Amino acid sequence: MTTLRVLTVDDSRTILAMLHHTLSNAGFEVLQAEDGQQGLDVLMKESVDVVITDINMPVMDGIEFIRHVRATGNHQSLPILILTTETSQDKRELGKAAGGTGWIVKPFDPEKLISVIHRVVH
Amino acid sequence: MSDLDDFKATYFDECSELLNELEEQFAAIEAGERDSDRLNAVFRAIHSIKGGAGAFGFSALVGFAHAYETLLDYVRDGRVELTDDVCALCIRANDIIADHVKAAQSGDVLDADYGMEEKERFDALARGEAADDDETGGESIEEFDIDFTPVMVNLDAVEEVAEAPAAEDAFDTAPLQPETGHWEVTFTPHRALFERANDPLLLFRELALLGQMHTRAVLGEIPPLANFEPFAVYCTWEISIVSPTVTEAAIREVFEFVEGDCDITVTQVGAPAAAAPVAKAAPAAAADDGLDLLALADDEVGVPAAPAAKAAAPKADAAAQDKFEEAPGLSFSELAETMAPPPKPVAPPRAKPAAIAPAAAPAAEGEDHGTRAVGVQSIRVDLDKVDRVVNMVGELVITQSMLTQQMDETLRARYTELVRGLEVLAQTTRGLQDSVMAIRAQPVKSVFSRMPRLVRELATKTGKKIKLETIGENTEIDKTVIEQLSDPLTHMIRNSADHGIEQPDVRLGRGKSETGTIRLSAEQAGGNILIIVEDDGGGINRERVLQVARDKGVIPPDTNPTDEQIDQLIFAPGFSTAAEVSDLSGRGVGMDVVLSNIKKIGGSVHVRSSTGKGTRMTLRLPLTLAVLDVMLVKVGDSPYVVPLSSIVETIQVSRASFERVPSGGQVLQVRGEYVQVIDLAKRFDMKSQTDQDSRFVVLCEAEGSQKVALIVDDIIGQQQVVIKSLEENFERVEGIAGGTILGDGNVALIVDVQGLKTQLIHKNAA
Amino acid sequence: MEALNLRDDMGENSAIAAHNSMQLIAFSIGEQTYGVEITTVREIRAWNGATPLPNTREFVRGVINLRGTIVPIFDLRARFGDGPTSPTKNHVVVVMSVGDKWVGILVDAVSDILTVSREDIHNVPEGNSVDTELLNGIVTHDSRMVGLIDLHAVVSGAKLDG
Repeated sequence: MTTLRVLTVDDSRTILAMLHHTLSNAGFEVLQAEDGQQGLDVLMKESVDVVITDINMPVMDGIEFIRHVRATGNHQSLPILILTTETSQDKRELGKAAGGTGWIVKPFDPEKLISVIHRVVH
Repeated sequence: MSDLDDFKATYFDECSELLNELEEQFAAIEAGERDSDRLNAVFRAIHSIKGGAGAFGFSALVGFAHAYETLLDYVRDGRVELTDDVCALCIRANDIIADHVKAAQSGDVLDADYGMEEKERFDALARGEAADDDETGGESIEEFDIDFTPVMVNLDAVEEVAEAPAAEDAFDTAPLQPETGHWEVTFTPHRALFERANDPLLLFRELALLGQMHTRAVLGEIPPLANFEPFAVYCTWEISIVSPTVTEAAIREVFEFVEGDCDITVTQVGAPAAAAPVAKAAPAAAADDGLDLLALADDEVGVPAAPAAKAAAPKADAAAQDKFEEAPGLSFSELAETMAPPPKPVAPPRAKPAAIAPAAAPAAEGEDHGTRAVGVQSIRVDLDKVDRVVNMVGELVITQSMLTQQMDETLRARYTELVRGLEVLAQTTRGLQDSVMAIRAQPVKSVFSRMPRLVRELATKTGKKIKLETIGENTEIDKTVIEQLSDPLTHMIRNSADHGIEQPDVRLGRGKSETGTIRLSAEQAGGNILIIVEDDGGGINRERVLQVARDKGVIPPDTNPTDEQIDQLIFAPGFSTAAEVSDLSGRGVGMDVVLSNIKKIGGSVHVRSSTGKGTRMTLRLPLTLAVLDVMLVKVGDSPYVVPLSSIVETIQVSRASFERVPSGGQVLQVRGEYVQVIDLAKRFDMKSQTDQDSRFVVLCEAEGSQKVALIVDDIIGQQQVVIKSLEENFERVEGIAGGTILGDGNVALIVDVQGLKTQLIHKNAA
Repeated sequence: MEALNLRDDMGENSAIAAHNSMQLIAFSIGEQTYGVEITTVREIRAWNGATPLPNTREFVRGVINLRGTIVPIFDLRARFGDGPTSPTKNHVVVVMSVGDKWVGILVDAVSDILTVSREDIHNVPEGNSVDTELLNGIVTHDSRMVGLIDLHAVVSGAKLDG
């Protein structure tokens, strides 16, 4: 079985580092980007199995990023998980409306994170 | 746990960057630049601080940041106007955030009510504005806080929020019967489910983990092929799950992400009527998506039914465009454009305040072309590695200059190619040196940005009105210098606020504006960086300084120093106008700390004051710490070097005019100016075997234009040296600023010109 | 040699446990023999001059360049109060680590590597105050008295005003 590749997009180095730690410990290969634009750049060159993205980011925010991904020819079935601290659900709804597959609530529990990924990735 | 510590270190690093950014943004906002880019940047910074804090369980920080963030959100979408008051409140909030971060870092606990007042003001602001909205919009920030509980790992909270409330509440009233754990689920995905890359197969796979599962595809409504719409979903699944422990919540959690993108019912078989299923489907969506049904197969299918589901959400395959089985994966993008907005859940979840909705829309639309440069690539490198390169380049520079020196006239004439080669080498080495130094260079911004807060605090504590202006904050200096700069700068600004700027009424009386100004600037001047702290206060009270200096024995009672020398006295060791040791200026520590810190990094301090008009303190700092241009001299038999930057001129002793002073010492007369003389051989207790007349005077000037004449035994020449620390293996030595290794491998000592002068004052005092 | 390897590989404790012995580098100043534990010695080099340091005590001989770092040299004879050494090319500098610092000690000659048992180390007899100050103990080896140098004590008090 090949290693699953995860693209993590967040402007917080702390969150990127924690995701990297959790995901690589779980056997994923982790790619990183610091905003939506960088995320798109990565997706142009690399193929990934799942994307985890923050919403509030400079340059290009997560909502815009998801829209762009979904509008691109070969990424319609790429699972995209939204990282959100919002419990008030509005960001989540926006993310879903833009084409997000699911969400992860920060602060995330490592086990939960992995199980959520498995819910959206083969 | 070291991983966690690493993350924390990353987090605190990030926080300090974000806090700096906040200072910068608010400096601009205060100056009137209130555009949405800045507000968005501020919002993101607070959001990031909060996010990380949540991960580490810094609940006080999270609580405050959350309230602040909510206010910012209101400001961002215009519900709260960004008045000067609100701006000031935000700046205060930034300071509170900084304190929370600091407390979290050091493990201190702040007072429980710290920042509560500000939090209440956020709340009042939000409430006041939101009152115009419909009733749910009036939710206060405090109430938000109750909802938002930061916990390192909080799985339950996630589930609770994610659950569909109405159905769950109804169901939970009925006691669970473990024996009758048999559930029926009907599931009809909508087109939108696939458009968001969800996949029924994965849902079934997860469901299967809950218990014994059986699925059946219902294929009643598949249209004739001619009417078949490739992107429509024509299939419903009926699923039964048998398990003694499974709950409705667990089943619903599996469908968490597809809520609204499917019709789903969950029924407990043989359960009491109270548990009647509540359809959470969205009728509107059903009308849109679920008109036709596709007959894929009509047998009962178990989990392997999934391949059929998978076919509905295939990976894109351009080649398959015409094959109808795989068609659903094709032009979702076109479809997405022509499609109506995605269906919304019919029943909005419980906690969702209506007031958030208008806020959400602009956020979604808002394209944020922020300040960050796109595509600038960077790597993080251990500073040690950079320093190793810096050191080696330093050695290379010296070897190169040594080689060049070895070329005498005869060699030059004979080996022109070699000479050209050496010239190229010299150029390349210089270029290499500059490039390496640039790696270590950082804008002074990182230190400057800490000062506005300091000034605000000082103004509050002293009751003065003080404005801080910063200029040239993008000036770059070596990282080590920057790190050493913070304390001296803090001291100098405290000094200006404490002793320089007058009380508002005094200022008005003197015909000045009520608000005093401290100007902090940085500029490059030749091989140095000048950092200037200037205020428009009352200037140094020379009478008082002189009195204190005499009382404390800093200078002998009978000396009559010039105004400039008096000004400089504030940096003398042991001098502190401590009659009013406030907790601002000193804690008993005087400005001598500034001088010693600055000297440590090879810099100097000069103060110039004008009574009634203000004071200007100038720090002169080396651009780089690694390489120094020096003059190599001999004292006794030993090699010494004097920094070229402090040398004014050199004179043969035979040509210099000395004069005896009544105390018995000697002074040098240069162009009508009398300069103190230090015989280095005597001072360093070396035997000079050189004939007095063939010795040399090295006339030096440090900061303050006060000169000193050093007598040395010989002058050997100029060169560049790499500064080495004596303290690494030994300790600090009076009069010596460090050591260096010469081309022949011997150690030469670096004369500490400023230090010798300070000693002189001491000696006189003693 | 075996003991040395053990120490290198497994740390000091195992060597002590194995043999309860230690190895010393022994050097001489006049008629006297002194020793330091071999693990502290970094390098032994011939005297090649030093740049004098002003404003330091007589026993601070100056500084030398040891592969790019500046290392102070202490004149052990002068430290013991017997006046400064007049060094020649035959004199030797023993470079050692004291805490996180490297220092050199100027001695007349390095004489031997000794293996001694820790049990044979005795306290310095009271009387000579310089000896009690600068020595950790005394050990007898082949009927020679070897003073064990307390490096921390040797390098302290180097400044003139101390």
